[in-house]
Amino acid sequence: MMLTLASDLKSYMPIALICLMAIGFGVANVVLSQLFGPRRQGKNKGQTYESGMNPIGTARKRFNVRFYLIAMVFLVFDVEVVFLYPWAVTFPNLAVRSDEGLLWLFRILFFLLTTVVAFLYGYRKGVFKFD
Amino acid sequence: MTDRLAFLWPEIALFVTTCIVMIVGLSKSLAVRKSTGVIAGVGVLVALYLAAVSTPHTSGPAVCPLTGIHFAPQLTASMGQVLLPDMVPFTKCLIAAVGFMLLLVLAGTVDRNEEAQIASGKRVYDPLRANRAEFYAFYLFSLTGLMLTASADDLIWLFLALELTSLPTYIMVAMSTSRNQSREAGVKYFFLGALGAAIFLYGFALIYGGTGETKLNDIAAVIHAQGINSLTMVGAILAIFGFAFKIAAVPMHFYTADVYQGSASQVSAFLAFVPKTAGFIAILLLCATLGWAYNPGEGAGGSIGFTAVVTQVEGATRLPEPVRLLLWVMAAMTMTIGNIFAILQTSVKRTLAYSSIAHSGYMLVGVIAGPFNGDSSNAFTNNGVSAVLFYLLSYGVMNLGAFAALAMIERTAKADGEVREIDHFDDLRGLCKVHPIAGWTLVISSLSLLGLPPLLGFFGKLPLFTSGIAAGEIVLVVILGINSAIAAFYYLRMAFLPLTDTRDATIEQTTEAPFVGRKLAGLLSAGGVIVLAIAASAVIDQVKQAGTVQTWNPTRAIKPAPAPHGHDHAALELSPESVAAAGGVTSGAAKDER
Repeated sequence: MMLTLASDLKSYMPIALICLMAIGFGVANVVLSQLFGPRRQGKNKGQTYESGMNPIGTARKRFNVRFYLIAMVFLVFDVEVVFLYPWAVTFPNLAVRSDEGLLWLFRILFFLLTTVVAFLYGYRKGVFKFD
Repeated sequence: MTDRLAFLWPEIALFVTTCIVMIVGLSKSLAVRKSTGVIAGVGVLVALYLAAVSTPHTSGPAVCPLTGIHFAPQLTASMGQVLLPDMVPFTKCLIAAVGFMLLLVLAGTVDRNEEAQIASGKRVYDPLRANRAEFYAFYLFSLTGLMLTASADDLIWLFLALELTSLPTYIMVAMSTSRNQSREAGVKYFFLGALGAAIFLYGFALIYGGTGETKLNDIAAVIHAQGINSLTMVGAILAIFGFAFKIAAVPMHFYTADVYQGSASQVSAFLAFVPKTAGFIAILLLCATLGWAYNPGEGAGGSIGFTAVVTQVEGATRLPEPVRLLLWVMAAMTMTIGNIFAILQTSVKRTLAYSSIAHSGYMLVGVIAGPFNGDSSNAFTNNGVSAVLFYLLSYGVMNLGAFAALAMIERTAKADGEVREIDHFDDLRGLCKVHPIAGWTLVISSLSLLGLPPLLGFFGKLPLFTSGIAAGEIVLVVILGINSAIAAFYYLRMAFLPLTDTRDATIEQTTEAPFVGRKLAGLLSAGGVIVLAIAASAVIDQVKQAGTVQTWNPTRAIKPAPAPHGHDHAALELSPESVAAAGGVTSGAAKDER
């Protein structure tokens, strides 16, 4: 087992190539813009977000804890979709093969129900109230 | 492959209960909010019933005796985890039963001040501030994870189940009291827990790298056919280190005292049972995978360390030597350090924390001893796995009593209304006279924890001794004996302070906490310690079967060690049975595409 490890490393060659390409791309872009990029200085150029909003006040500002709840609700959506995709891809095969189709439909519905619970919970906690 | 749902009915019941509790717990009506505890209790009892009747086992089909519903056929080699086939129903019943007692203790932990203020009209009800339902939900999630750990047959499943067990406990610790120590304990517990999880996940990755399988019985088959290579061995050792965090064994025990002291007594009771049980189930599964069953008697008389004193008994089984050595040192250190530090404490909760470390050490003796393949007439006394499972039951019941006794009493509230727990040994003086239920619960459970003969703790510890002797681990059993004697020092102090001492004016006044559930749990625990000791034979019959490690070899043909270029498909032989054993129609072929 251990003896074959060295030869197994060959199969990682494409990954090594991609890593090299990624690093090369980054380095090349920096070097190229250093060489050919125009250099202009000014007030607007020096801003934190060059073409975005004007930064006001200090960065150490307290912000509403609700953002973290929204992030969590987003996570629920995210996970839901991540699991729905593979289910949707495999479901036709299951449904054709046997009467298992209905069973699998109920299973995913149960899963969706749990995410509904998460939303109800978030709603009750006032995540969606913006005042 | 039989449907995996057959293994999961208790977990599903617990999970559905969790969903209901989450929704109901944010209601405007106090009565509805209060019903969450009852709903959780009903859910756990349903899970107990389902665990008893629906879990597949080897002695016949799983059929409900009352309604006649046929849940699952008889457990065979082709269905999921087959290394410890009958451990699953026993452990799930144990988890649900002790879990119900834990719920009785935990009831009323959270939101006490908040609800009092709402009742007195100082504050209106705000869903954002109500945490009661979350607390029960975390409790239920943790129990679900624990049951999933018991039915794990796959490294990934095992990892997810262990995490589902642990993650809610971090939050339960932090929210258990309004003291800052609880937050501190929660943060400490979380970071060290993440470290432990990272270590055993790394171990799992190496095991997968070394064997090419994630299913436990496939890993066992590979190890059986090819022996353990160094990568798998390193992985197993890392995994054991990670599990050591869950059971609070010595190199990973540092958090225990701080976390137990920082959280409320009732949550400490939860911590002493739930993560520990999860860790021990995981260790048993891992050791069964590594090969108690596959290399009996191998490695005796080797040159490393302590093997010189080992005398093998006919039929005893051995773990691979490095793992055995690791567990040996871990067990000896855990027992000794736990007990010595427990003596030095002045806080009852810290003492109980260190004693919980020591008890993990005792149970590791059973893990090292392993199952017994010889004469079946004394199968229980020689079987280390049964010993561990029985000890988990007895430790769960008696330790809960000790913590419940502490939770029943609190120091008389001062003007700020802050709940202050009793924690110092002085608080225990004369407890039997002032608060008889708490006092006697504490007396009985500490005597049982000590292992005094007529009580449950004695019957729990006895098989650990006998199985250790049967496996030839004489030195370790001697260390176990010495440690039991050391433990007498602080357990007797815990038993005699309430019984014989008297209260004087220097001790702060105490009142009983206004929760009936805690008294009920204490009485159940004290009663259980006595009744289970009398009815031990009935339990032992169950445990004997639960601790049987299956020696049926997975019928799957083992693929040869990977060929240099990985294209050697012709060497693979799969019989129809073997495909079934591999857990799916496609898995055999899919695995070799790598």
